[in-house]
Amino acid sequence: MANRIGVYVCHCGTNIAGKVDSVGVAKFASTLKNVVVGRDYKFMCSDPGQEMIIRDIKDLGLNRVVVASCSPRLHEKTFQGACQRGGLNPFLFQMTCIREHCSWVTKDFDEATEKAKHLVAAAVSRVNYHAKLYHREENVHPDVLVVGGGIAGIQASLDVAKSGHRVHLVERDASIGGHMAQFDKTFPTLDCAACISTPKMVAVSQEPNINLMTYSEVTEVSGFVGNYQVKIKRKPRYIDETKCTGCGLCMEKCPKKVLSEFEEGISMRRAVHRNSPQAVPNIPVIDAANCLKLTKDKCGNCEKFCPSGAIDYTQTETELELDVGTIVLATGYDILDPTPLKQYGFGRYPEVYTGLQFERLNNAVGPTGGKIVMKNGQPPESVAIIHCVGSRDKNYHEYCSRTCCMYALKYDHLIKDKVGHHVKIFNFYIDMRCFGKGYEEFYRRVQEEGVSFIRGRPGEITDQAQTPEEEGKLIVVSEDTLLGRRIRVPVDMVILCTAMEPRKDTAEVARIFGISQGMDGFFLEEHPKLGPVSTATDGIFLAGACQGPKDIPDAVAHASGGAAQAMALAARGKVSISPTTSWINPDICIGCKMCIGLCAYSAIEFDERRGVSVINEAMCKGCGSCAGHCPSGAAQIKHFTEKQIFNELDGLLMAVPPAPRAKEEEEPVKAEDTAEAAA
Amino acid sequence: MEEFEPTIVAFVCNWCTYTAADLAGTARMTQFPNVRLIRMMCTGMVDPKYVIKALLAGADAVLISGCHPGDCHYINGNYKARRRVKLLQEILTGFGIDTRRVKLTWVGASEGNEFAETVNHLVNEIRELGPIETRELMVV
Amino acid sequence: MATTAKIEVRDKNPVAALQTFLAQVLEDEYVAGVLAPRHLNDNGALMPTLVTDPAMLDRVDPLAPAFPFNAAKTLVKLTNGEMVNKVAAVLKPCEIRAFVELVKLNQGNMDNALLIGVDCLGSFGNTEYLNYVKDADPIASSQEFARAALAGEESPGGTPIAKACMACEHPSAVQADLSIGLVGLDIDDHLVVSAHTARGEGLLSRLGLPDVAEAPSRAKAMAELVKKRTAFRDKMFEETNEATASVEKLARYLSGCVNCYNCRVACPVCYCKECVFVTDVFDHKPWQYLDWAGNKGMLKMPTDTVFYHLTRLAHMSTACVGCGQCSNACPNDIPVMELFRTVAARTQAAFGYEAGKSTDDAPPLSVFQEKEFSEVTGGVD
Repeated sequence: MANRIGVYVCHCGTNIAGKVDSVGVAKFASTLKNVVVGRDYKFMCSDPGQEMIIRDIKDLGLNRVVVASCSPRLHEKTFQGACQRGGLNPFLFQMTCIREHCSWVTKDFDEATEKAKHLVAAAVSRVNYHAKLYHREENVHPDVLVVGGGIAGIQASLDVAKSGHRVHLVERDASIGGHMAQFDKTFPTLDCAACISTPKMVAVSQEPNINLMTYSEVTEVSGFVGNYQVKIKRKPRYIDETKCTGCGLCMEKCPKKVLSEFEEGISMRRAVHRNSPQAVPNIPVIDAANCLKLTKDKCGNCEKFCPSGAIDYTQTETELELDVGTIVLATGYDILDPTPLKQYGFGRYPEVYTGLQFERLNNAVGPTGGKIVMKNGQPPESVAIIHCVGSRDKNYHEYCSRTCCMYALKYDHLIKDKVGHHVKIFNFYIDMRCFGKGYEEFYRRVQEEGVSFIRGRPGEITDQAQTPEEEGKLIVVSEDTLLGRRIRVPVDMVILCTAMEPRKDTAEVARIFGISQGMDGFFLEEHPKLGPVSTATDGIFLAGACQGPKDIPDAVAHASGGAAQAMALAARGKVSISPTTSWINPDICIGCKMCIGLCAYSAIEFDERRGVSVINEAMCKGCGSCAGHCPSGAAQIKHFTEKQIFNELDGLLMAVPPAPRAKEEEEPVKAEDTAEAAA
Repeated sequence: MEEFEPTIVAFVCNWCTYTAADLAGTARMTQFPNVRLIRMMCTGMVDPKYVIKALLAGADAVLISGCHPGDCHYINGNYKARRRVKLLQEILTGFGIDTRRVKLTWVGASEGNEFAETVNHLVNEIRELGPIETRELMVV
Repeated sequence: MATTAKIEVRDKNPVAALQTFLAQVLEDEYVAGVLAPRHLNDNGALMPTLVTDPAMLDRVDPLAPAFPFNAAKTLVKLTNGEMVNKVAAVLKPCEIRAFVELVKLNQGNMDNALLIGVDCLGSFGNTEYLNYVKDADPIASSQEFARAALAGEESPGGTPIAKACMACEHPSAVQADLSIGLVGLDIDDHLVVSAHTARGEGLLSRLGLPDVAEAPSRAKAMAELVKKRTAFRDKMFEETNEATASVEKLARYLSGCVNCYNCRVACPVCYCKECVFVTDVFDHKPWQYLDWAGNKGMLKMPTDTVFYHLTRLAHMSTACVGCGQCSNACPNDIPVMELFRTVAARTQAAFGYEAGKSTDDAPPLSVFQEKEFSEVTGGVD
């Protein structure tokens, strides 16, 4: 059966009709193949305009509709709605823009009219090949998975849990808290990190809606928005969590000492250890690589001394599977290892510290009990703080780590405060970036405390003295770019503000979750401005520094954003899936898998049995990367099929009769004189 | 002899260049009427076949335009488009089809001005280049 | 450095020596069968044949100057699936290079194949080959051909080899697990076999053939052969560029095309199950033909011929290995190979890609970088 197409050309008052002969275009349209009626009207988007379409669908049995008016970005939905009300599937409609792209930008009346005819001919030609499509609804599993238990993950988990939804919080380490748990004070307010983060950590452990899984990792994710299946690996703690009381006796009795990761390698821990007495959960973990019992079957002290019989050397790794609807990734960041920057002597000179090491040095529960002292136990008389170590540096990270200026100022203040006002502090900076709330004020305060700021990136830190006062000191060699001269500054201690960088395993985690990394290596957000918490994969959101360097308030705000996105889906319980996705015809697909590699959304799977690629419509965004490549045309985007595009092209390049010079006077609503002829 | 007026087909992405074209219209930035738009969701959707077909069917040039690198609504569709255009240019140039007849540009959603300039510049460029052979020839 | 071993030739019968060699290969514990060109009967008709019984190697002829189609397509069928042992495939270098492309396209499976390449002295087109052999013993003809070609004869027996072969700068199969060398050697005395992969090394050591040093004469002769063929190729590029320098010329060049699609059926790297040109995308309505005719007052039928070739160039020129089977298959003698190789040279150079070189190089259209080809957008990244 031939199609029955109705074409409606809008005047838009004089917006279109002032430059385009809308009447003539409608008349031209009615001569086109399969067009049953061509009408023009003052305002197609008005109620009478829409009514005209609805009436024609019913009275004339139209099965395709074309509207030539403004941009479809403005009124496509309006007219699709009209079609639907007329009983026509909204995808059997095509809109073409003769206002923004034609009447408003073309000087000559005849030229504009001719262009409008081409555009209408293209739309008519295309609409012949439109097919009915339907939006699909999928249920959203109400539970939310949060990956990473740093401050961002904690915030996201608490927010979601508060809404009444169940949260599975997976943390790789033995306890939650992340980097923030390592800090002492926080800028610019100087409140103690533990005082503000510990209550949140405890809240996580006490929240009935949060299922906290520490010492665990996500190994596999499948499914799609609303319906993810997640595999979680639970590493053996060798301590029964249900029996352990957290008394800490095992740690006292353990003879094996190794460098502490939590203390950033500046002090030792035992093979059985926990980060701090405030750790959540408060249960230690036995480090299988160093435990004498587990490596050499010796010792066994912890088991002997444990008053509650919680030690269990026979524990093994377990795996569990969960169903969740949405996922919030809060996997945080790593600190750049400054060892490769040989000029700074990290690892070679004992008094060169990273920022995180200094945090521990300064922390009341750290190795020195919060005393800022050198390895010899003496307080430093002078300290150099080097900004942008590995940040804003083409050889390492081009980006700014956003936090270093501020924590450097914090160190400035704390040193002055704790060691004494006589301590000389030199900041070597490129630019001071104090952009947050209260940050600039804090900068001013620290300046007033008598801290020196030298604009320049030091070229070297050396112990080779050139003058008596440099003897026994570390000399920071730099250019002072404000004074334009080379300087040598002898100090007792150097702190390197090392860059925040993506976690070492970001690529692997991105693969597991089917998301992308940006140029900087951090997880890529959906849009840099308007979608900073969502990812290209529906139902997977980002929280905190895994998306890019952030300070605590930004990480917390970002995490609440991620939680809100996850909750929005969970609360509605349904997700509507657009039908304009790709479809791969299994009869044509030869299984070359090229489309799988080109898909930015991991939305194509390979069916090994049939040897063909298959679109997961819930993950497909309909971008056409697959269809644009597929040589056999097996992959096609619904509503943008090859047949549709070729026919649009055909109509566009079709010869059209030239526009008549004089404007014809005619009734806006044209009698349908071609209906019978075409039927 | 009548002055040659080129016919140009443009495949533009919905999110950037199509929006820029809307913006150019709203701002009444006058353009030559020679460029006719086909709205695609992404430049990564533009099959090289479409370009070949357009040129054989008598389009004097084909414009493909989408989001700037890094701004692609679909993350990286525009990079794929760039490789496909490169491929087409390499193939077609040997048959005397000037690379200027297969044009790829980045025009962001807010760049109405750039869109109008792209259109007008391209029309002038193709006017100078003259009609494509397929206008008169029967090549299918 | 590749290990090279010697294959002794007795009674001036190098083909017999290769049959013996393949019999040894067939006995190897990891080899399930040998795929090799074998004469079907005594009139020269040759087809790739899967041999599992060493007795059936008697008509196998790796020196035959013919390949009725590109056997990479056959090897795909023999390797695409789960297998315990491998199929050892005796192939021409262009067949191996096509197979490399097909592996990247998830068609063939390299793990299931053991590739044995033979120096290629060129092949005839299918008809020319049957004329060349006529009533003679086909294996004796192959050996005669090889001796003549190695002596530098342009048209052994008065018949020129296929143009694709004259323009082929890859006479040796360095992508194979094992390659059998003829060039630069007295093939009536001995042949050499070199291993290029760990698997090849393994097999070679299990075969226990005597090691031999690479003869300097071989490298020199190979360089000369490549030089001669490259010169031919470049001249062919020049002539083809000239012959297709405009759309009008291209249309004239392809004017014999009747849309039989033989070229794409013969093409080893046109791997689609169904060409898009035979799908309903190109099922036009009668009134559409009339509309198109109306544009210029006429419409050449069949339509979509130049369109088809241009699209095929877009689809597979980056994977073209230059085997020439397209020209071999064309019923109307369109110089398809010349056109495709000429364009392929451009497109492959543009992406810094060489078809068939390595499974490690991703097909150019399957990958992209954030910063590249800024000339396409007028220098704007």
